[in-house]
Amino acid sequence: MNAVRRANFPLIGLWIALVVTALIWLAPFAFMVLTSLKSTAEIGRGSIWSLPEVWRWDNYLNAAERGDLWGVAANSAYIALIKVPLGLLVSAAAAFAIARLRFKRHRALLIVIALGAMVPVQVALAPMFTTLSSMGLLNSVNGIILPYLAFGIPYQVFFLYGFFRSLPRELDEAARIDGSGNWRLFLSVCLPLAKPALAALFILDFVATWNEYGMALVLLQDQEVRTVPLALQAFQSQFASNYGQLNAFIIMSILPVLIVYLMFQRFFTQGALAGAVKG
Amino acid sequence: MTTVSTAPPPARTHHRARQGRRRMPVLGALPFLAPALALYGIFLLFPIVSAVYLSFMRWNGFPTVPPVWAGLDNYRDILTNDTVFHTALRNSVIWVVLSLIVPTVLALLLALALNRRLLGRNLLRSAFYIPAVLASIAVATMWTWLYNPNSGLVNGTLNALGLSSWIQDWLGEPRIALYSVFVAFVWQTTGFSMVLFLAGLQTVPADLVEAAKLDGASAWQSFRNVTLPALRPTFTVVLVLTVISSLKVFDLIVGMTNGGPAQSSQVLALWSYSQSFINHNFGGGNALAVVLLLITLALVLPYLMWTLKEDER
Amino acid sequence: MRTPTKAAALAAAALLLAACTGRVEDTAQTSGGPVELSWWMVTQNSDTATSALKSIIADFEKQNPGITVDLQFRAVDAHKDALRTTAGSTSGPDIYYNWAGPGLGGELVKAGVSLDLATYYQRYKWADRFNTSTLAAYTQYGGHHGVPWTQRTEVVYYHKDQFAKAGVDGPPTTYEEWAAAARKLKDAGLTPLSTGGKDNWHVMRLLDTFIETNCGAELGDELNTRATSWAGQPCVDKSFEQLKQWSADYFNKGFAGLPATEAAALFNSGRSAMQIEGDWFTQQNLDAGDDQNNVGVFPMPTGTGRLYGFSEGMYITKTSKHPDAAATFLDYFTSAAVEGKYLGVFSSVPVNKETRSANALQPINAEIAGLSGKAKGFFLNNDQNFPTDVTTEYWRIQNGVTSGSIAPKEAGALLQRFIDTHKD
Repeated sequence: MNAVRRANFPLIGLWIALVVTALIWLAPFAFMVLTSLKSTAEIGRGSIWSLPEVWRWDNYLNAAERGDLWGVAANSAYIALIKVPLGLLVSAAAAFAIARLRFKRHRALLIVIALGAMVPVQVALAPMFTTLSSMGLLNSVNGIILPYLAFGIPYQVFFLYGFFRSLPRELDEAARIDGSGNWRLFLSVCLPLAKPALAALFILDFVATWNEYGMALVLLQDQEVRTVPLALQAFQSQFASNYGQLNAFIIMSILPVLIVYLMFQRFFTQGALAGAVKG
Repeated sequence: MTTVSTAPPPARTHHRARQGRRRMPVLGALPFLAPALALYGIFLLFPIVSAVYLSFMRWNGFPTVPPVWAGLDNYRDILTNDTVFHTALRNSVIWVVLSLIVPTVLALLLALALNRRLLGRNLLRSAFYIPAVLASIAVATMWTWLYNPNSGLVNGTLNALGLSSWIQDWLGEPRIALYSVFVAFVWQTTGFSMVLFLAGLQTVPADLVEAAKLDGASAWQSFRNVTLPALRPTFTVVLVLTVISSLKVFDLIVGMTNGGPAQSSQVLALWSYSQSFINHNFGGGNALAVVLLLITLALVLPYLMWTLKEDER
Repeated sequence: MRTPTKAAALAAAALLLAACTGRVEDTAQTSGGPVELSWWMVTQNSDTATSALKSIIADFEKQNPGITVDLQFRAVDAHKDALRTTAGSTSGPDIYYNWAGPGLGGELVKAGVSLDLATYYQRYKWADRFNTSTLAAYTQYGGHHGVPWTQRTEVVYYHKDQFAKAGVDGPPTTYEEWAAAARKLKDAGLTPLSTGGKDNWHVMRLLDTFIETNCGAELGDELNTRATSWAGQPCVDKSFEQLKQWSADYFNKGFAGLPATEAAALFNSGRSAMQIEGDWFTQQNLDAGDDQNNVGVFPMPTGTGRLYGFSEGMYITKTSKHPDAAATFLDYFTSAAVEGKYLGVFSSVPVNKETRSANALQPINAEIAGLSGKAKGFFLNNDQNFPTDVTTEYWRIQNGVTSGSIAPKEAGALLQRFIDTHKD
């Protein structure tokens, strides 16, 4: 903190500006927490920033029960914990093949795969519905994992391709002189080196999977298989006027991703994504 | 898929061929590619092909009613008989342009500021990043509540600041509904772009910045001549990701206005969905989807080609 | 071309899935064995209704040992989607719930999803069982599609104390009296009518009412069935004009962005004087703690003597393997004994002529039931009259008028232009 000790006024001004902006940025959360602890009647008449007259902790319990929080969270967790590792493995294998095994037209293949990232999921919903339905995998947490995997592939392959390309060629040569095959090269050389990239992708993908709404809306229609975003939407449409419980439910629904983020935040705030922006 | 299977199998294929990578056979790569290609083919490529096919048909979505060939009718209808398309297209364009400017500039400024050594720097970074990990539908629900005309934060704060004349029906007034949703979008997405810029700033050569300073360059000059050029790849990534995500915007609008009031905040992705799934006009919905896809391709394909060309060098 | 792609897709996917799925399809039932009926419903808003359906099934299964009923709930949109996508396939249900109007239930009938129940109408004498006005919705496509379950009635709920405070003498009986009452309420500093414009159908209730008022029953029906043009109709122009005026002067502030549940919260907490709702609203209003002695209802004063409302029914699918068992169940479900036992839980107005209520209705619902007895028929919510794409356009124009971006005079012509260019 050399700069501050030397009373660098522009820097102090910058710091104050940043803190104020950050407070504004976070104000919605504070407002939600306050609201989530009030009764509907109090929200109707009280000032918005006043502390609750009666702290309604039961809003959380009631909202969790009404929205079947544990059931839907279990569904979301199950989907994310299977989809994310499996997806990373599938994408890493494909990216490895395209980046290191230099078969003909590998660039064309990469372009085709990357173009998948541009497809708005709404385009694919109707045919996807028919396909899953004919496989008997509609309204199934296992079934939805398949399109989730497919839609994760373009970004992940593109990102990991860049990473695998940046590894020095000599690695391959050395491994091959040892007599290693492609699998050895992939599993014991490239994958371990890709750990930081995979960790960053893991978090991004976990968050994206946990939060996915468009596909789940159409492919998971039974109450028992709903995920957290669907439950949130249902909660809002059914109990929109019960502000306290609604806000309690929002807060509970975002806690898991917040925790995951805080656990792994160094990957983001310290620039582990650098590989993504080297072009 | 076709790329792989139509490539003629090389004469002699040895798994552990040491002849060098030039003759590395496609068969060796196939086991690595197969799972990804199968998933991609079934759940991405096949749906797109059938979407394109359906865009030339008239169909109400009932399996009992077979689709009827309609040629280019659906595309003609979009241009002549669709009362919402023009609004949706205009809004999508506005959304993309605003997204390229507002969150990007904000993110860059934040990244530059938070790249300096400051007290509680990581905490501040987290503060701006946290909204990016929330589900869009959660952001939509939150902001709907913040905009609530009776007890929401926005009008409540304006009131408390003595600015009650600024109070608006943020989501109910057709002229501003789209922009109200956009504010929530900025809040949600700025953090991710900021993190990308921060990552990009790590690639700026420190010795060059130092050298510029020694040469007596002003902060602005060293930013323009050293930092900015080094950030060029980052800019490309941020802008491309922004174009893709802003053309796809769906959850936020569904959650906050559902395209209303009077379709004033309608965008292409949502209108395509509504045509298919709400209005049971699958031909029209898919034609819109194809239009959306073409727009995205036109904006993003050049970047992809360029990246890969650079990569070959 | 599509089939091979699909087959390849299936094969590959099956391989992928081998590890992670364990779902086994029901084996087809052979005749003689126990029959399982699958029944698709929309999610019920009250727990009372959900458990009532379950106990009806339990009672039925006790009386009919060979038949079991598997009831599945879905949210409204999910229900519509699921029905559409399983149409014509055996993965659909045996019995499904739907709204009887041509725009909703009628669409499925047209798509060949519903079974013509003529033989069962004969066998069980259903034609004599139900109210004629309600039954009309089930015979309108030729044949007999579905059986009536409810007859919903939408009326104006109002707060008596607010009417008194504003100097309104009693429920209005003409449009002029109604408009005058709204004016007096506004002058007294009250919110005359609460609506939630984010849910388009909520505002639509007033627009539909105005069209019935200004155009009359006959022309109104012709317009709503699109048998005559909306363009150049003075009564249509006048209706949009009135809608614009009411939305500007008499609606709750900020209605356009609010969902209907929030409008209801305004009414239930005494912050608005009137709201247009159906008989299902009574229970909500009661649960929210509104003083039932202070709440009254009156039919919208359209001058045609018809009530605003719709019917919901149960349909048997063409693909059902057990139509006889399904009909047996529906015969039980719509019997006077069952309807009487649960009257007030689902709906307050019986559709079975023989039904006698086993329990006393809530006073407001009794009042609504009384109104139906005197009504000259029903006029239907337009989102049930129109095909879905016309409904979407109707709402766009309606909201364009209330927000000022569409002039009331242009509205009819705009709608007609859309109808003309979207014939199926």
